[in-house]
Amino acid sequence: MTGTIDRVGAAAAETSFLLNGRPVTIRVPPIRRLSEALREDLGLTGTKVGCNAGDCGACTVRIDGRQVCACLTPVGQVAGRHVQTVEGLAVEGPAIGGRGGHEARLTRLQASFHRHGAAQCGVCTPGMLMAATDLLERNPAPTRGEVEDALGGVLCRCTGYRKIVDAVMGAAEDGIAFLVPQAGAAVGARVAKTDGIAKLTGEERYGADAMPADALWLRAVRSPHARARFRLGDLAALRRAWPGLAAVLTAADVPVNRYGIYPTGKDQPALADGEVRYRGEAVLALVGDADTIESLTDADIPIEWEPLAPVTFEAARAGGAPVLHADLPDNVLVRGRVVKGAVDDTFAAAAAASVVEVETAFVEHAYIEPEAGWARRVGDRIEIVACTQTPYMDRDEIAHVMGLSREQVRIVPTAVGGGFGGKLDLSVQPLLAVAAWRLGRPVRWTYSRPESMAASTKRHPARIMARACAGSDGRLLGYDFAGDFNTGAYASWGPTVANRVPVHATGPYHVPHVRALTRALHTNDPPAGAFRGFGVPQAAIAHEALMDDLAAKLGMDPLEFRHLNALRAGEPTATGQVLEASCGLAACIAALREPWRAARAAAEAANRAGGAVRRGVGIGCMWYGIGNTSLSNPSSMRVGLRPDGRIVLYNGAVDIGQGSNTIMVQICADALGLPMDAFDLVTGDTDLTEDAGKTSASRQTFVSGNAAERAGRGLRAELLRRLNVGEDAALRLEAGCVHARDAGGERTLRLADLEPDARGDVLSAVGTFDPPTTALDEDGQGVPYATYGFAAQMAEIAVDLELGTVKVTRIVAAHDVGRAVNPIQVEGQIQGGIAQGLGLALMEEYVPGRTENLHDYLIPTFGDVPEIECILVEDREPLGPFGAKGIGEPALVPTAPAILNALHHATGVRITRAPATPDRVLAALRAAGVGVTP
Amino acid sequence: MYEFAYHRPASLAEASALLTGNEEARPLAGGHTLLPTLKQRLAQPSDLVDLGGIAELKGIREEAGGITIGAMTTHGAVAHDQTVRRLIPALADLAEGIGDRQVRNRGTLGGSISNNDPAADYPAALVGFGAVVRTTAREIPAEDFFTGMFETALEPGELVREVHFPRPDRAAYAKFPNPASRYAVVGVMVAQRGGEVRVAVTGAGPSVFRWTDAEVALAGNWSPAALDALQVDADGLNSDIHASAEYRANLVKVMAKRAVAQIP
Repeated sequence: MTGTIDRVGAAAAETSFLLNGRPVTIRVPPIRRLSEALREDLGLTGTKVGCNAGDCGACTVRIDGRQVCACLTPVGQVAGRHVQTVEGLAVEGPAIGGRGGHEARLTRLQASFHRHGAAQCGVCTPGMLMAATDLLERNPAPTRGEVEDALGGVLCRCTGYRKIVDAVMGAAEDGIAFLVPQAGAAVGARVAKTDGIAKLTGEERYGADAMPADALWLRAVRSPHARARFRLGDLAALRRAWPGLAAVLTAADVPVNRYGIYPTGKDQPALADGEVRYRGEAVLALVGDADTIESLTDADIPIEWEPLAPVTFEAARAGGAPVLHADLPDNVLVRGRVVKGAVDDTFAAAAAASVVEVETAFVEHAYIEPEAGWARRVGDRIEIVACTQTPYMDRDEIAHVMGLSREQVRIVPTAVGGGFGGKLDLSVQPLLAVAAWRLGRPVRWTYSRPESMAASTKRHPARIMARACAGSDGRLLGYDFAGDFNTGAYASWGPTVANRVPVHATGPYHVPHVRALTRALHTNDPPAGAFRGFGVPQAAIAHEALMDDLAAKLGMDPLEFRHLNALRAGEPTATGQVLEASCGLAACIAALREPWRAARAAAEAANRAGGAVRRGVGIGCMWYGIGNTSLSNPSSMRVGLRPDGRIVLYNGAVDIGQGSNTIMVQICADALGLPMDAFDLVTGDTDLTEDAGKTSASRQTFVSGNAAERAGRGLRAELLRRLNVGEDAALRLEAGCVHARDAGGERTLRLADLEPDARGDVLSAVGTFDPPTTALDEDGQGVPYATYGFAAQMAEIAVDLELGTVKVTRIVAAHDVGRAVNPIQVEGQIQGGIAQGLGLALMEEYVPGRTENLHDYLIPTFGDVPEIECILVEDREPLGPFGAKGIGEPALVPTAPAILNALHHATGVRITRAPATPDRVLAALRAAGVGVTP
Repeated sequence: MYEFAYHRPASLAEASALLTGNEEARPLAGGHTLLPTLKQRLAQPSDLVDLGGIAELKGIREEAGGITIGAMTTHGAVAHDQTVRRLIPALADLAEGIGDRQVRNRGTLGGSISNNDPAADYPAALVGFGAVVRTTAREIPAEDFFTGMFETALEPGELVREVHFPRPDRAAYAKFPNPASRYAVVGVMVAQRGGEVRVAVTGAGPSVFRWTDAEVALAGNWSPAALDALQVDADGLNSDIHASAEYRANLVKVMAKRAVAQIP
């Protein structure tokens, strides 16, 4: 694993230092980043690289005990010093089961992270652990504030930071014992992640962590223009000038240079062909040795650009702009429509009506792990090892792009360092496949942070006009919604947004008359795709502003107005679907009633004292259909029994940090009636697992969980049959035997007596589930989803009237999840979703060319995320596994509306342009004449 | 490929010799600014002179009632030094607010002021306290040291040795940080020493500047209210994705008032 890769910088020289207590000497340029030396030269990939700019802190290591960013530390400066990485944290103490059964050791801090669920995707975890170790060495009993300050240089996009602080505060607690539920008691248990230990020791392998030593490097050359025509110059001369180049790939090298999410309308080239449609679009791929690829700058590449005036969102909305795709007149990718009743008549007769306009920005997923992976050709097959949310779609897409059969493509997902929808689209895969196929050598590629931000999809900016009306009895009568969504240069998941939003436009309320129309419009902006909520968070800002305003006009309390109108079982939705069960919004709102009244009263009392700070309390409600909209989206799971009595769950549902590797085992274990600790996992790999669909649309617990339950029940039925015992028999595994006890006594099945199949299983079962939905008619009527998640959140904030800053001080979140299969993970999803919702409301705005890093693009840090109180409402879903629904996206949706409503409560100023940045808030306060009262 | 020579001298004299007469040579302090610019080819020095091994550039000492800090002293060392905390607590506070812990454990006083990023914190302390920059060649008053955006009075080959901060009678620093980097969107140091009041503003303009109207107002009436009637002209102030010039103008006033309000 050593090498003297000498790219930027001085000649290689020897540097000696202590690494995790052992002396090492490496011969590299002294200016080489320490992070690179650790990962590439010393083989310690536990130290992660998220930005290479000192912004994210993922690469935090300790030098002589002090936390520093390894990416900004030249190797020459650690000469004679002691460098500690995550791999060097636990060198003593008792061993426990680690990855693949071999032993791992944990410090108390690491054990506390495991117990508290402080690692979700885990890619920031090494940095967090190193920063916390530095703190705890100096201050063994820190306050919450001290923890937040000491860890403040490390960003996390999954957890909302709360459980990380809990874990550091709890590190003094003794022991490394973890809850191991008995057979039949896994569902509902606060059990630690089945894949958690490797995330704490640095063993986990993410996209950039398992690159073959002999791989060529790949880099894309990307467009600096939003819209341009281009001509490639003399590439042969480039090859001659740079002998380390193995290939320069152009559009002509891609067998089928069009991909896209949907079976029809594949519109996105892997490499642009003469015309680029957004800044950051790939036009060339350079493949060669590491030195060459890192040394070539864009200035060395012969490309002649002819920039053209880009089509903006405003121009696309107005119509008449140049058309991006010849088959889409007026740049309209797709329209969505849900119409019920006679909405215009309703407004004429209403006692109160309100109108709102909402504007939102591009939002970047900002997962801490940039896209990364490698590919190799094996005979007539291509294998791609990369981070992804959707291995089976990747397989089909790569087969399409390469002109191969599905069977010729193998996708091996690595651990995923955060996704949130952004890793549902292809990234590194197509060009890696083309390069590896053509060159017959492994090829690797890791996006830089600016590349990740420029090239990847975003949340759709929205322009929404909505109005709602109610009768004098406070009941909603009509809702009229028109929303345009900027879907950027290519379709990606734009149709999903345009179709999901109208269904959810009214919010989680019973509204008899509805018109909801959407358009997804092409522009020369980055492709907008899937991002936690698929447009629903944007629409929720509109409906929640309207609910507040209608309540005010009717003289009603905002919470009570929502409670009155909350959709209840037996009432029809905007699409005419009547929910029969698991409709827990009213219960969520009721759970907020007491804290709401207390907080509103306290805020109003505080504001009477005047001063520069105003307090406010707001509420937001949501609903969210679980799974794909009116589309078949089945999942299958296989569970097998080994001759030695171990159980293998073949789990194709990719865990992107949210915890499906744990949830699936909990569900399957209880369905089977055997304990979780008898399970091993085979994850992802399209050659080894069944197709469990995408990790998106909050579907894995509900859809794949159902498949896991069915697989477990299938295997149980087979065992009961062979043991000839009744359904209520208790099963037990012992020494390669399954024992069953029922009223008839105890029976035993010796597994070694059975013939193993090709996988090595002596018995196995496959479960499949596809949520029951119907197509929507031309008015959008039908059953788009089998079940819905519901929630109500309350935000308390403080607004600084002199600065326009908004500080969120507390959130109470009540979520109907059907059943919390793992309450730790449900809380983690809620807290992490709230952090992203807070970012959407107050700080996140992606501007191409200006915010392609993690200091100009702001995401919430430790100090931004307030105390969060989670209230789990468990209104069982009869169709769900053990009653469970989904939580991934629901967690985010109500937060921004609650914060913006709190801003209105605090100041009387209604802001509906997100993010509500300090300068915008201050301008709005000044325009309204709101200032400090002496 | 682009290459350069890397040196790690053990003494200031050796470092000066390497840098003097070689305009393409660059000193390396904590590396937080230079390393990324090297990687992006924004800087292409012929020689890189790493100052990390020079013991005489590190350290904090009391001098003439004030404090003298070596150029290679980290922000974290300044923040946690008991002498700084006792004599000029506002300086310790300012250092504690620079970046995050990773930055404070690596970034240095000399590196920061020699780079003169318009959003750096230290320039407000140097100008606010009337500090003197001692280089390998001479002594430069702080106000003459910072000459423009990313520009200082340093000649090629000239290195900052240390900075001497006279002790103010009272002082406080208030800043509005970039939420990610903690750089100053606007930072204001308010300091009084004898009959002189200084209000030094960083982050707002191309380089640190004194808000003289506020100095006059505070000299007559040491209270936040003394600044109420003043306005800051947005013309010429920085404008970026985080704050417009108009927003920064407001910040200058509000931060100045809040700095004054911190002082009993």
